[in-house]
Amino acid sequence: MKRSLGLLAMVVAVAWAMPAQGGQVLHMYTALDTAESQLYIPEFEKDTGIKVEWVRLSSGEVLARLRAEAKNPQVSIWYGGPSQDHVTGKKAGVTVPYKPPLDWTLPANAHDSEWCWVGYYFGAIGFASNTEFLKRAGVPAPSSWQDLLKPAYKGQISIAFPYTSGTSYTVLATLVQMMGEDKAFEYWRKLNQSIHHYDKSGSAPVTQAGLGEVGIAVSFSHDILTKGSDKGYPITMTFPSEGTGYEIGGISLVKGGQEPDLAKKFVDWALSVRSQNLMKQWFRIPLNPKAEVAKGAVRADQVKLINFDAVKAGDERDRLIKRWRSEIGQ
Amino acid sequence: MAELRKILRDPVLAATIAVIAVSLFLFVVHPLYKVFQMSVVEDGRLSLHVYRDLLGKPFERRPIYNSLILGALVAVAGTAVGYLFAFAIARADVPWKGFFRIVATFPIISPPFVLSLAAILLLGRRGFITRTVFQGWWDPHIYGLRGLVLVETIAFFPTAFLIMLGILQAVDPALEESSLNLGANRWQVFRTVTLPLSVPGLASSLLVVFVESLADFGNPIILSGNFHVLSVQAYLHITGMADFSGGAALAVILLLPTLVAFLLQKYWVSRKSYVTVTGKPSPARLSVVPFTRRLLCGLCLVVAGVIFLLYGTVVFGSFITLWGANYTLTLKHYVSVFQIGGGYLRDTLILAGVATPITGILGMIIAFLVVRKEFVGKGLMDLISMLTFAVPGTVVGIGYILAFNERPLLLTGTAAIIVLLFIFRNVPVGIRAGVAALQQIDKAIEEAATNLGAGTGRTFVTITLPLITPAFFSGLAYSFVRCMTAISAVIFVVSGKWNLITVAILGLVENADLSQAAAFSLVLVAFVLLALGLMQLGVGRVATSQMGVEAGG
Repeated sequence: MKRSLGLLAMVVAVAWAMPAQGGQVLHMYTALDTAESQLYIPEFEKDTGIKVEWVRLSSGEVLARLRAEAKNPQVSIWYGGPSQDHVTGKKAGVTVPYKPPLDWTLPANAHDSEWCWVGYYFGAIGFASNTEFLKRAGVPAPSSWQDLLKPAYKGQISIAFPYTSGTSYTVLATLVQMMGEDKAFEYWRKLNQSIHHYDKSGSAPVTQAGLGEVGIAVSFSHDILTKGSDKGYPITMTFPSEGTGYEIGGISLVKGGQEPDLAKKFVDWALSVRSQNLMKQWFRIPLNPKAEVAKGAVRADQVKLINFDAVKAGDERDRLIKRWRSEIGQ
Repeated sequence: MAELRKILRDPVLAATIAVIAVSLFLFVVHPLYKVFQMSVVEDGRLSLHVYRDLLGKPFERRPIYNSLILGALVAVAGTAVGYLFAFAIARADVPWKGFFRIVATFPIISPPFVLSLAAILLLGRRGFITRTVFQGWWDPHIYGLRGLVLVETIAFFPTAFLIMLGILQAVDPALEESSLNLGANRWQVFRTVTLPLSVPGLASSLLVVFVESLADFGNPIILSGNFHVLSVQAYLHITGMADFSGGAALAVILLLPTLVAFLLQKYWVSRKSYVTVTGKPSPARLSVVPFTRRLLCGLCLVVAGVIFLLYGTVVFGSFITLWGANYTLTLKHYVSVFQIGGGYLRDTLILAGVATPITGILGMIIAFLVVRKEFVGKGLMDLISMLTFAVPGTVVGIGYILAFNERPLLLTGTAAIIVLLFIFRNVPVGIRAGVAALQQIDKAIEEAATNLGAGTGRTFVTITLPLITPAFFSGLAYSFVRCMTAISAVIFVVSGKWNLITVAILGLVENADLSQAAAFSLVLVAFVLLALGLMQLGVGRVATSQMGVEAGG
């Protein structure tokens, strides 16, 4: 008995001692991959001496959590995820404006009109195909949205749920803006026949294509490069000829967050040349004109882009997702 | 009334009962009530709109059928394999009994989704067996029902095994021998004596495995493909769509078959026990012919082989540079376990370390109250304290975020909410172990202490607790294992400050970072084994045999 009480006292003591560290702490939800978060967040901590306590969630999940916690916000900043999800966040009233001081101009489509979110990188949607699968099946890599419907790819395509993943919602919004809503849903109903399964995270399909568990993944080009070909998987990247959608990666300050000043510091840091240069490791295209672009990364002028309206996409999110769930049934 | 007065005369006892009653209400009943409330109250009015909405859509209905079908198949398969193991060990006297017992504990101490990971590595479209054995002429299609039945059968058969082993060991072999002596052949003996005597055990194990499969979250979230099941759908509704009322309604739907099975098991099946022992069971003799023994042993070896293959693949996979592309051996995944996973590991150990002793002591106190004391609401306390066990983790997790997200009980984001979740989810095992132990100890010993002037508290600490130390420590060991490997409930309450290694591993598997996930899982298992070993050294005995009975979730 004494021994177990002693043990109890010891663990309680350890538990109390552990978190007792001084200094400022910023609480964050990030929609970046855990591995990618580790490229930036420790650097921010090093540069500023501010400690960051972060949770990694898919961006739809971040949105869901911020809505759920609106009465009792747990974090001060939402880092990463396509701007259209941040637009939805603004509409849901879970974010607050902040205009970072910049000595360069952020393009108008890369920040909210009231600065409720700011963009910090660009990335286009592409297709990742496993080259061994292509060889085995004797088919070329898909080069258009219509190609994805080919019988040869049946049961070979992987993509995320549009409601959990910002990547996948970007695809849905792109199709809706490009084809018109009804046509887009008609298209996705056909596409659904070819989809092996849906994932929670937007970049997960890339690794599955790399592994050969599926033949083709639809995802962002930077994720395709970093998690696919750059890692050593037999992946080739193509873009749809009809035009593709893209994301401006966003950052929002959370309404009612406990550390607004630290969160602002983080936004400033994320737009600095130093931080934007770090994104080379993940093949993201920086928005700061002074920052370096990784070799092989896909810039906006290298692919055919549609005239993508992120604000419209963000505004329509709840309605389109509802329709998607009832028509696709996933 | 007299009872009440007697309790009030003993302030320690009265206070303890009050504190436990309040905590059970706050941390067991209240969260479940919140889930129910969320699903039926809309804009302050009672409404079944959410249910009508859900049940009206085929794609929301399908997960209900899927979960039930999966649960039924796994219950049958898991019970069959469990019965095979139990019969081979308790009746057929197969060789290597100790080995088979150890193999059956593997799935209990490993995190729930490890088997799914192994299944993908082996039988995925580019899995090891798919590539080398089937070579493209057959796709095992493990994403979906087929894969889930395979991994859940392996994951949950130990439960069936332990239940059946208990029953078979408790049935006196003399019955079977008499039947043999009366001229029945061995098959007739099995069919007319052994099997009927095992029926209550079989029913019980079918129900428990069914419940475990319904509650399983770790495997389906990885392996279900487009075969959606309830636990994952409830999770996606809440975390992915912020649809709390829909998620809560799905949780309630998930709870219904679970509760029916739980109540059937508790009040019907367990009453129909044909246990025939009064003393020590005599050893089974001559109950099968050598051929049957060899056959049973062979079947057990096949199952053990599958288990070794699955776990072995995880070990192998953790040393592979890049599964699917580069099969050079490497230690880099282990290096990064400690580089990037150090924090998760530390948090998990601290939280499990805090929750475990509290769970153990609370379990013993409740067991003591239930067996030794008479008070109003005792039966209710017993039922409620067992409830968290039957309720799927997903439902409990949803209940916790709903119940503790607002003042005055603002707990989200703290370590406390995780520790509380651990305590109230795992305490039933401690209670059952304690109850079983206490029922074997004569009340007179405690009464002697009371007559000599010791109060309830003193009697409990100096007399009762030392007598039930083995039960106490087996409760401890079990709840520690469950804390370390839990996922379904805690995934709702982790935060940036307190994160758990299982949640990190799940993220890795979801991102198909398979080798890294394998390395994390093995380090986790190593820590669990280390902790169990230390406990065993410290106490001399950990009744691992009791551990599996309620494993899972």
